[in-house]
Amino acid sequence: MTLLCIRAEAAKLRRSVIWLACLLLPVIPAIMGVFNYQSNLGILTNGWYSLWTQVTLFYSNFFYAPLIALYAAYLWRMEHMDHNWNVLMTVPVRVRDIFFGKLAVILFVTLLTQMIIFSFYLIGGKFCQLPGLPPAEIFFWLLRGSLAGTAIGSLQLLLSMCIRSFALPIGFALLGSVMGLVISGFSAGETSLGLCWPYSLMLMGMNANRDTDTLAGNSLPFVGFVVLFFLLFTWIAVHRLKTRDVQA
Amino acid sequence: MTGLFVELKKGRHKKLWLVPLIFLIVLFLWSAYTHQNADAEDLAAGYTNMFYQVPLMNTMLMPVLLSVLASRLCDMEIKGQTLKLLYTLQQKGSFYDLKFVHECFYLLLFTIGECLLFPLSGKLYHFTEPLSLPLLLRHGVVLFLAGTVILILQHILSLLCQNQIAPLFIGLAGAFLGLFSMFFPPALTRVLPWSYFGAFLPYGMEYDPATRIMSFYELPFPIGLFIGYAVFGIVFYLVCRSIFLKKEV
Repeated sequence: MTLLCIRAEAAKLRRSVIWLACLLLPVIPAIMGVFNYQSNLGILTNGWYSLWTQVTLFYSNFFYAPLIALYAAYLWRMEHMDHNWNVLMTVPVRVRDIFFGKLAVILFVTLLTQMIIFSFYLIGGKFCQLPGLPPAEIFFWLLRGSLAGTAIGSLQLLLSMCIRSFALPIGFALLGSVMGLVISGFSAGETSLGLCWPYSLMLMGMNANRDTDTLAGNSLPFVGFVVLFFLLFTWIAVHRLKTRDVQA
Repeated sequence: MTGLFVELKKGRHKKLWLVPLIFLIVLFLWSAYTHQNADAEDLAAGYTNMFYQVPLMNTMLMPVLLSVLASRLCDMEIKGQTLKLLYTLQQKGSFYDLKFVHECFYLLLFTIGECLLFPLSGKLYHFTEPLSLPLLLRHGVVLFLAGTVILILQHILSLLCQNQIAPLFIGLAGAFLGLFSMFFPPALTRVLPWSYFGAFLPYGMEYDPATRIMSFYELPFPIGLFIGYAVFGIVFYLVCRSIFLKKEV
């Protein structure tokens, strides 16, 4: 049944503008990152690592979460329109499958966005005549960022499900990211408080604007918090779908 | 006037003021974060630092705030498919103008709120630098003008697009471009409307990597650029309005 829901959600995205957003938005940080790297070769001397800091500087700090929010808001928008909530809640599938269907699609688009930014990073590196391929560590950071993206995906799906406005959850995602940057600057002992704020996890996972690993020794708590947030937001969303009446 | 009251009534119970307020709170928290470890030297340049940093934060936050604001106000007509009925009761042009005025009202509230953040931060963190009221006024006027021009774009996009993903996408991309425009040569940034939140900074900054010392220097107000941008805003509004009036419902 979950597979059927995933297929139905994927069908809703066919020929949608979301793919264009998925492709175009990562182009901007990639081009600007390369431009900035090329203009500051005197300071940025760490090759692929330095280029990574420039490409991910604003992308993961401020724009990755709003981009996921955009996808999530788009998926729920059609349910908020034309009394579709009534139709959605009367189809013979379990509500959790409806949510999981949307979640799976969001995770796929999020992963695709990450792959696109990595491809642009690779092309940018070659354009800057960087030798060989990027270190495997950077690919690991990208995967870590994608993992954090799953927690944000479930949170944004929950927000867009509860808030009927298309735009509000996207605004919240940007503010969450700004707060994420602030909170990740605080620490309790050796551990950054950013681990407790879902939007910080993303920039910590991506190791944005750092060429040494900020999560060194903290990878396990990081994964733990990602899983915790993912399960928590998914549970709240499914519980809400089960227990609250819809406002069509 | 009746049209404006109708617009205001449409926004009742929608808590539209909440969005600018939350953005202001985050801006305040950011400001608090940057001043948490301020020493005597930092406090002596507290307002200078704020006049430099707040416009940079605006470059990132304002395009998204304005796209959210415009989308919320315009989407209620699109979702509710009210336009056909509305045009039998109200002139198309008047609807367009009043909706825009309604959006500008929240921009004005945000501008006032942001200007109040300066003395508030100064009091809280005990800045020793006196607050320059002309600079504060200049900050408010520039923010309102730059915001209005972006709002014109978001307003027309939100009304023309059935799907609000496009205006929000433009808002996000604009924030991105505005931020990156700071690394461009000034002549190139002038073509990007999102870069104007940071185009009228009263201070420039010099950073010496060897001593790690940041120093500020005063910048003259580019009056020609300001007037040019205001004229562009008026022309842009008229063009957008005429596009909207010609569009079939």
